[in-house]
Amino acid sequence: MTLRTVMLALGGLVLVPLAGGLLAGLDRMLSARLQSRLGPPLFQPFYDVGKLWSKVIAPASQWQGLFVRWALVASLASAVLLAAGADLLLCFFVQAASASFVALGAFCGNSPYGKLGAQRELFQLLAYEPVLLVGILCLAKAAGGFDAAGIMAAHGPLLFRLPLVAPGLIFALLVKLRKSPFDLAASHHMHQELVRGVYTDYAGRDFALLELAHWTDVGVTLCICSLVWATGPLAMVATGLAFLLAVVLIDNVTARLTWRAMLGRAAPLALALAAANLVWLYLE
Amino acid sequence: MLDAYIGLLIFWPMAAGLACLGLRRPAARSALVMASAAILAAAALGLASQTPLTANPAFLSSSTALAVAQALGFLFPAYFLYTGLREKHALVIVFALCQLGLAAFGAFGLPAPAEAKAAVVVDGLSLALVLVVSLIGPLISIFALPYMAHHEQHLGPKISRQPQFFLVLLAFLGFMNGLALAGGLHVFAACYEGTTLCSFLLIGHDKTPEARQSALRALWLNSLGGVFLHTGILLIQKQFALADIQAIATPALWTGTSSQALGLLPLALLAVAACVKSAQLPFQSWLLGAMVAPTPVSALLHSSTMVNVGVFVCLRLAPVLAGTSTGRLLTLAGAFTFLAASALALGQSNAKKILAYSTLANLGLIIACAGIGTAAAIAVGTVLLVVHAATKGLLFLCVGDLEQAIGSRDLENLRAAVATSPLTALAAAAGSLAMVLPPLGMLAGKWAVLEAATASHASPLAATVVMLAVVMLAVGSALAVVCWVRFTGTLLSGVAVGQVTAPQTTPKPGQTSSLASGFTTSPSASPSASLSASLSANLAANLTTGPILTMLAGAVGLGLAAPWLNALLLPAGQGDPLAGGWWLLPGLFLVALPTWALGLRARARQSAVSPASPYLGGLPSVAPGSFVGALGRSWTLTEGNEYAPEFFGEARLTKLAGALAAALLLALAGGAL
Amino acid sequence: MLKRFLKTAQVRSPWLLHFDCGSCNGCDIETLACLTPVYDVERFGIINVGNPRHADVLVVTGTVNPRNAVVLKNLYDQMPTPKLVIAIGACGCSGGVFREAPNVLGGIDTIIPVDVYVPGCPAKPEAIMDAVVTGLAKLKGILEASA
Repeated sequence: MTLRTVMLALGGLVLVPLAGGLLAGLDRMLSARLQSRLGPPLFQPFYDVGKLWSKVIAPASQWQGLFVRWALVASLASAVLLAAGADLLLCFFVQAASASFVALGAFCGNSPYGKLGAQRELFQLLAYEPVLLVGILCLAKAAGGFDAAGIMAAHGPLLFRLPLVAPGLIFALLVKLRKSPFDLAASHHMHQELVRGVYTDYAGRDFALLELAHWTDVGVTLCICSLVWATGPLAMVATGLAFLLAVVLIDNVTARLTWRAMLGRAAPLALALAAANLVWLYLE
Repeated sequence: MLDAYIGLLIFWPMAAGLACLGLRRPAARSALVMASAAILAAAALGLASQTPLTANPAFLSSSTALAVAQALGFLFPAYFLYTGLREKHALVIVFALCQLGLAAFGAFGLPAPAEAKAAVVVDGLSLALVLVVSLIGPLISIFALPYMAHHEQHLGPKISRQPQFFLVLLAFLGFMNGLALAGGLHVFAACYEGTTLCSFLLIGHDKTPEARQSALRALWLNSLGGVFLHTGILLIQKQFALADIQAIATPALWTGTSSQALGLLPLALLAVAACVKSAQLPFQSWLLGAMVAPTPVSALLHSSTMVNVGVFVCLRLAPVLAGTSTGRLLTLAGAFTFLAASALALGQSNAKKILAYSTLANLGLIIACAGIGTAAAIAVGTVLLVVHAATKGLLFLCVGDLEQAIGSRDLENLRAAVATSPLTALAAAAGSLAMVLPPLGMLAGKWAVLEAATASHASPLAATVVMLAVVMLAVGSALAVVCWVRFTGTLLSGVAVGQVTAPQTTPKPGQTSSLASGFTTSPSASPSASLSASLSANLAANLTTGPILTMLAGAVGLGLAAPWLNALLLPAGQGDPLAGGWWLLPGLFLVALPTWALGLRARARQSAVSPASPYLGGLPSVAPGSFVGALGRSWTLTEGNEYAPEFFGEARLTKLAGALAAALLLALAGGAL
Repeated sequence: MLKRFLKTAQVRSPWLLHFDCGSCNGCDIETLACLTPVYDVERFGIINVGNPRHADVLVVTGTVNPRNAVVLKNLYDQMPTPKLVIAIGACGCSGGVFREAPNVLGGIDTIIPVDVYVPGCPAKPEAIMDAVVTGLAKLKGILEASA
């Protein structure tokens, strides 16, 4: 472990959540513009989290604080692993652990809306995890190793060898960012039948920490997606933003699907495309 | 000293079992079982301290011993035949006759094979199985002591049948150890049949029609496996005149010219036999049926030990399979079982069936490792075997305990069990999270399998087959995560919404006070009797929680120790034990530990305040599980998990997956020719 | 600096919970009009949420009657502190023309403490937005007093 790796890891620990917050702000601005509104300032998500931090409220369950903290640490750990250029699969698994903790915390709560959201959160996990996993395997095969650092050092953009993975990555991003048509677990706005789904019971400081975890997850997932064009730091940022733009656009032009449609149609399609790409990479 | 260890491991449990038959007093039996636990553990650890080793103890290598082993090869099928005739079960009769015929042909129709160089060979793999059997097995036996007492109280047979139960339970451990340690095929086959016999007796222990049927199903399926095994052994004997397992598992043997006629068919047959024993699809029905047995039986036979025989065989043969089409097909078959069984588990609400399906899913994962066959994959498979056995054993004990406490094994009735049986529910939660979350062993294993499978492949067809398996592993692993997180979530569920199921059975021994008061209210109770009753109830509680806590420590400890286990199991020079992400895991533990403490601190803080009232669309709630609606009336809420039967329905999925898996196994046998 | 940020944040991110007690929907439509591109309250970080556990400001329209008084009280209780309540429209402020009806208890303030009253029948979107801003100024005053 070199000093550089340590610096990168620390950078990931701090910068990925911050970038996730900024991306959340950018996302809200973009969405507002798409709806011909002005939208909130870029830093609005930070104000939101700062406010939630100061709120005083009784927890819905004595277990929620525990799971929120575990989820946050798991998300941060995945960010650190990614930034330090470690094994991409492990980074992915650690992030999945974070999502599991979020669902567990909701299970522990006492509102039926939260539990419904938790069930759906798990079905979402089921839908995007295999796709993202196969996508990572494709990335690793195309670049010749599972190390994030190795993939970043690959020659030339990988996207041309991963054309069928791109839709899968967008699918995974849509689910991970809780965007329509797959905002099933925690409807992003006031969709009344779910209230806030998996987030319903989280409040106050726990919710603020959870929001930080979500930012980190968004940052990490976008980073993984941007590895398809990792010719340099600027190219990666541009690719990440392009993915974000695509996701925001889809969010604003689609209505929500049911979880049956997600599990029965969208996920198998995305998975089949990614799997075809994987087999193709090995046949090359 | 070595011979003594080996002798104790194999014969002590059998002797102790026979002694149980004579000792009808529960206290004596408890003492004996606990002493056996200590002896087995000591012997296994003694053996472990000297691994790797070979030994030739007289009681296993002398010609008398071999003759006895060969005789057992006749005796067990003969007993199966007798059972089949008595129960008028055609399949049992047919397969028992097949086995007898094969045994006769092997003994009299073929020249005697060259005997094994060493009667006992202990390497990392066999030691892993011995440790699993001798450490987890006795713990489960101890757990069985209060469980069976309560079980009989519940069923109420006239004469206690516990002596027979413990005889078979303990004898089974002996057979398992013999099987793991055997260096020659004869002893191995005899022990293999011995485990089939034990499982038949234990599944049918309750003598209910359902138990009888399940036991017979287990018998005929495992006899079928036995037929495959014996055919494979005979073919090997005919081809090479060998009975030495180590020699058979040498790749050089199979690439030589003498093996061309049959190709890898004998190995494929052994692998199919292993699939039967490990209840891989399409042979899963016996394991599911076996869930009617008392929980210690499920835990011992069907999660942590007996089903491991199959994966043990596969891992043993794995070096030969590496890079062959048979190996790749086996990988595909294992991955397919992992996928299909994980999907089936997700659609279940019966907690024991979830465990059963998850067991065969994970065994499929290990078989996939064996199919890959590289040194790294075999090491991972062995790590998975050990960690899975400990974790699944823990889960079975927890579910069994909860079942006795709540009177149901349905997951919906176990909702919010953390409120009624916190210790067991939390242990179960820890166990189920250990099945899927990093940095614990099961997940590390999955991750390592994925990376081992994606190593380069020679031909395009081979790559396609393995990639198909990899995609199946990816989907299966997501299914497993969802299944176990939901399981945990249901156990830890907040204030139970809807009616809490009232205990339907008498309180379990763990609930000391109620049981003790039950004794004191009986008319003949004197103060001293009540004191002793409460003491025995205390003991019973300790005998329940003790094994659970030990297993918990073991499961989590082994889960954390996975990278080091992997390093120990990798032969020197066969790849870097810290390659890939293995070296990252210890770092993750270092992160996980303070996080754990941080979480507990948050929990302590939040426990101090009373929780908020539930959000029920703005309506108030005066009692848990209800809300105040129109006219001030209290309405009951019900809730349940979504089992998505349209995707994971058992009836349809079983048929589909069974047909596909059967096709895969046929391709495996056919492709080996 | 962090402390100052946290204090600013508390007045920069008001999340509204809108509860229709017994309104004729006139004020509800005006309230929701604030979210449209014409008024776009998200400029001020305002979000309309559906969950009292996430809300900072309770916006109530309409009169209170015995049936919904329970729900109003419950929603208020489930909100985290510090919290604001805004009564919208003549009915919310005082019961309006329904004040004397037998099933009407009166304005919002008969059940929970109200911080800002917005008159009008219906109240104008501009007035509602102004009320939120006024409420936040009040909150700021409270926070500074407590510091």
